[in-house]
Amino acid sequence: MNIIETENLSKTYSGFTAVSNINLHIPKGTVYGFLGPNGAGKSTTMKMFLGLTKPTSGNFHINGKKYPENRVSILKETGSFIEAPAFYGNLTGKENLEIIQKILGLPKSAVSEALELVGLTEFKNRLAKKYSLGMKQRLGLAGALIGRPPILILDEPTNGLDPVGIHEIRTLIRSLPEQYDCTVLVSSHLLSEVELMADNIGILNHGHLLFEGSLAELKENAAFQGYPTDNLEDTFLAMINEDNQQRSCVK
Amino acid sequence: MNFLVLTGVEFKKIRRSKILLILLAATVILWIPSILNADLNFKMQAEGISPENNFLIQGFLGMTWFMYPASMVVSTVLLIQTERGNKGILKMLALPVNTLKLCLAKFLILLALGATQILMMTGMYFISAAIAAQTQHYPFILSPLFVMKEAGLVYLSSIPMLAFFWMTAVCIQTPIFSIGIGLASIVPSVLIINTKAWFCYPMSYSFYVLTSEYGKLASHILTSDIELVPWIPVAAIFTCFCLTISCLFFGQHERR
Amino acid sequence: MSILLECKKMKKTGFYPAFIVGGILASCLPVINMAVRSEIFTGLQQPPLQILLNENWAMMAMLNILLILSGACIMYHTENAERALQKMQTLPIRESSMFFAKFILMIGMSIVVLATEAISFLFCSLHWFHTYDGLYTDLLKNFAYFFILLLPAILLSLAISSACSNMWISLGIGVVCFFAATMITSTSHFILQIFPFCLPLRILTESTEQTVIHFLVASVLELLAVGIAELSFLRIRKALV
Repeated sequence: MNIIETENLSKTYSGFTAVSNINLHIPKGTVYGFLGPNGAGKSTTMKMFLGLTKPTSGNFHINGKKYPENRVSILKETGSFIEAPAFYGNLTGKENLEIIQKILGLPKSAVSEALELVGLTEFKNRLAKKYSLGMKQRLGLAGALIGRPPILILDEPTNGLDPVGIHEIRTLIRSLPEQYDCTVLVSSHLLSEVELMADNIGILNHGHLLFEGSLAELKENAAFQGYPTDNLEDTFLAMINEDNQQRSCVK
Repeated sequence: MNFLVLTGVEFKKIRRSKILLILLAATVILWIPSILNADLNFKMQAEGISPENNFLIQGFLGMTWFMYPASMVVSTVLLIQTERGNKGILKMLALPVNTLKLCLAKFLILLALGATQILMMTGMYFISAAIAAQTQHYPFILSPLFVMKEAGLVYLSSIPMLAFFWMTAVCIQTPIFSIGIGLASIVPSVLIINTKAWFCYPMSYSFYVLTSEYGKLASHILTSDIELVPWIPVAAIFTCFCLTISCLFFGQHERR
Repeated sequence: MSILLECKKMKKTGFYPAFIVGGILASCLPVINMAVRSEIFTGLQQPPLQILLNENWAMMAMLNILLILSGACIMYHTENAERALQKMQTLPIRESSMFFAKFILMIGMSIVVLATEAISFLFCSLHWFHTYDGLYTDLLKNFAYFFILLLPAILLSLAISSACSNMWISLGIGVVCFFAATMITSTSHFILQIFPFCLPLRILTESTEQTVIHFLVASVLELLAVGIAELSFLRIRKALV
């Protein structure tokens, strides 16, 4: 069963198409890797799911609910982390989470649980603006994970983390579906990263969905089309390159 | 780095900030009542002031008592927030730029914004005087030289105040305090110009200067003449003090 | 509940100290005025409270409005500075309820400011004048009037701040509006006098009962109008992203 499905979802900003007719299928209880170079439309798609920007055409449903009719109930079930983390700089990490906890109507314990989950417990009483980049990133993640929402939308969650942090967060994301029975949509521009986390992947370039399926399917597909298959990063680059070339030819 | 280049960079930073629009809106709002109530200027002849002089001075008084100082507080917010907003200041501090020069370049922008608003106000004066001349059938327009002299006086006497605003903006990290102190310091100047110690309060300088000009033009109103001593030395010392403090503190918070 | 959250968001922004210090500063005005030149006022025939209000209220009201303008700017500045507003938008709450929670918090702080000022007036009346029957009711009536006439200014300055992501723009618009108010407050046109930033400058005793009622009605209508305008603005902005 697909928990998130889009139907010809498009977003155009005055003459520039950020997302063009994409049809995503994200199965429940899996980690879905959303892959593409910078500016491919990953963030725009995720923002549409959260109602931060409105689709120009097409529609989507999340857990059987439609936007914009069920916006609030979609947001209740979705934890999100979009681009650079958003927080109140004048409050401590703990206080920032308490605000989210109260809005979501979660028990108080959810805060310490989320802090523990991302490894921020030690720094919970420090002002958020004094956090290092990695700590801000973790705070953002904690804000998404708090209350164990059934759906998680994470936009490049490992940006700015050190190798140890990247590994920790990856392992955490990987384990989430089993631990909490949730579905994760995670974006990245590194295939090597998505490979380690995701069950299914979608590859986006210039707003178009180039591929959707499992990693095995990607390999199969790549071999069939004559792309290199021994290293997935090369496969990805070759796919993007070819797509870019086709695009410039059309122009 | 050349100071001029640095100032140019600072000008670039406030592009698309809409600050000029705000400064302009303030001057437009200033003159509208003057145009609508242009007939009241004839009643002021009882005070011994000609209607055209009254038209100019009343408008300028409105400007110097609140709008101009308040616009300058807003401008300091702009200058500081563009740096702090996206941590631009950190980048600037990491570049081979002399902090002292950087701070002074920013103060120069504030001076330029002030000059711009005074010029806008003068320009709007001529437009509104022309309109009033049409509606009242009376030549309201004064000689440009005289108007520029008054505007110049207002501007020059406001420099210590600008230095004070710049110092509060640089030294006080909490925006609500720097804004609050700036705005609140404007209000009492009406009271202070009536005291002997007016020269100790830079926020009242332009208003005092203009009130005294008003006294010169209105033969029946008594206002005290400006005594340059101790005013000018006090103003100079105050300005230097504020600028020194702001240069010392500029970027200190980010450097910790 | 959302009001408590808004209270929390304002921690360490200087919002609370600013209101308390601002209220105290404004309250010093009548005290200083009386201390310096009480002989001018004690000889007047009017009731003490009226003398004090006539002499001091204009400037105190200006300080109150400036305080409210900067407070409103800070409220939305904290939302915008580190993009917290974006996080709020991804949570299941309405922006409008956040807005009205901020409004209520602002009302609370204004009550603190007005109360401080009322105490200062009471002190001045008792210290330099004599007490008289009805002093307390007069004081209460006057300050209830000030409070109601202050509400539209609070709502409007919050609405301005919520519309601007840059603090200098909201402050600039607020300052220009405030300046316009000081320019038009002396006009005789009723329509101009009810401009939200003009209303707080009014004193109960300066107008007839009829006008007082008109001002009160205007204040309530403005609250509704600005409230509805803000709701539609938030809705339209949401639809446009």
